[in-house]
Amino acid sequence: MSVDDTPQTEPPTEEISLTVNGETVSAEVEPRLKLSDFLRREQGLRGVRVGCEHGVCGACTVLVDGKGVKSCLMLAVQADGSEITTVEGLTGDGGALHPIQEAFHETHALQCGFCTSGFVVATKELLEENPDPDRDAIEHGLADNVCRCTGYQNIYEAVERAADYADEGSHGGGDG
Amino acid sequence: MKPAQFEYHRPDTVQEAVELLDEMEHRAELMAGNQSLGIMLSTRLATPENVIDINRLDALSGIEVADDRVRVGAMTRHREIERSDALGRAVPMLPEAAEQIAGPAVRNRGTFGGSIGEADPAGNYPCAMAALDGTIHLRSVDGEREVPADEFFIAHMFTELEENELIVGGSVDCSPWPSERSGMAFDELKRAAQTWPTVSAAAAVRVDDPGAGDPTVEEARLALANAADVPLGVPDAEDAVEGEPLSEGSLEAVAEATMAAADPEDEMHADAEFKTEAAAEYARRAIRTAYERASG
Repeated sequence: MSVDDTPQTEPPTEEISLTVNGETVSAEVEPRLKLSDFLRREQGLRGVRVGCEHGVCGACTVLVDGKGVKSCLMLAVQADGSEITTVEGLTGDGGALHPIQEAFHETHALQCGFCTSGFVVATKELLEENPDPDRDAIEHGLADNVCRCTGYQNIYEAVERAADYADEGSHGGGDG
Repeated sequence: MKPAQFEYHRPDTVQEAVELLDEMEHRAELMAGNQSLGIMLSTRLATPENVIDINRLDALSGIEVADDRVRVGAMTRHREIERSDALGRAVPMLPEAAEQIAGPAVRNRGTFGGSIGEADPAGNYPCAMAALDGTIHLRSVDGEREVPADEFFIAHMFTELEENELIVGGSVDCSPWPSERSGMAFDELKRAAQTWPTVSAAAAVRVDDPGAGDPTVEEARLALANAADVPLGVPDAEDAVEGEPLSEGSLEAVAEATMAAADPEDEMHADAEFKTEAAAEYARRAIRTAYERASG
């Protein structure tokens, strides 16, 4: 069984220019190309996980101009002029883990790891807006992300630990 | 799970947007926050020839509170509504409805106008706008027109909006709701952030004297989401609580009136009987909360 997906005409394309993890990127994209596919396939950022592809799982969460976005529900063409940060953009010099990543590692907040980059990016936004979230705020802050392994408790602990690291101000290589 | 091919248009002005829409009509889909349309495009339940992206229409984004009238632009994101102090003072039901939509990433993108236009029976803003006697503002190449919320929503995902029209915003007269003696509540029954609520209740209550022990309800408004195929106002419930202090007896009447008015669809996880009973309970809770907030 096959689906005839052959375009009848030459696909329209659009020029975009954006910043991805601090680097300027220009590209010609089909309008229907999702930001998630642009980042993962065309920019090689494999931390952008393509999971459900319709806005449910949150594995593709990235920051667009500092705000968490499900990149499968945004078109690459819409990111024209924006600043994108993926999980790859959080690490420090020489690949040093960001304090949030350290905290996830230490509290065993991942098992298979598929959802982790989305959770880490969502945690980045959460802690920037609320440096000392209680459990309720953490649950609400991560409500767009699904994890099928951990049962969430270790993830919530990781967020609390990452918040503590930010308080101490001396842990890890990133800017937490 | 990839959208079909389409032609992309990104107008810079509202006028340009309505001209495009007028030219293309049913051959175009408007793209606001893309948190629902994006799902339809991904599953190819929607395969529009043209997409008109209105995300750069800054004129459609923002909240204005002036002369007892609150106006919310169509492209205002849920996050901005949720965090607006001005709305929190004037019509707190709207931030409370906004903060219960999905999770933060969806609220960073999803918009007020998108939710109104989608007209899902379970949507939060359609219900809130019905409860508040709000007005929906539409624009086409022929000019602007205003439609009362209770006339705008016609059936499941079906509205007064013409093919060549754009929702530019919504407005609410907040003069019936002076903050010092009014309270509002938006309560939803929802099991997980990503799902639609099973039912929601939106209530506004104004009392005569919040300093009194049991102030009298001067005016009450109640609407439910997902208890019918459009936002459901329950005038009998409003009548039951007005003119006296709120009591267990009048709350019982609210529940009974809601049960009588509700006409929900069966869903996989909630049949019509369950939804009817849940609607009655949430109506009761929303009215009680609004009254407690009004009474200080």
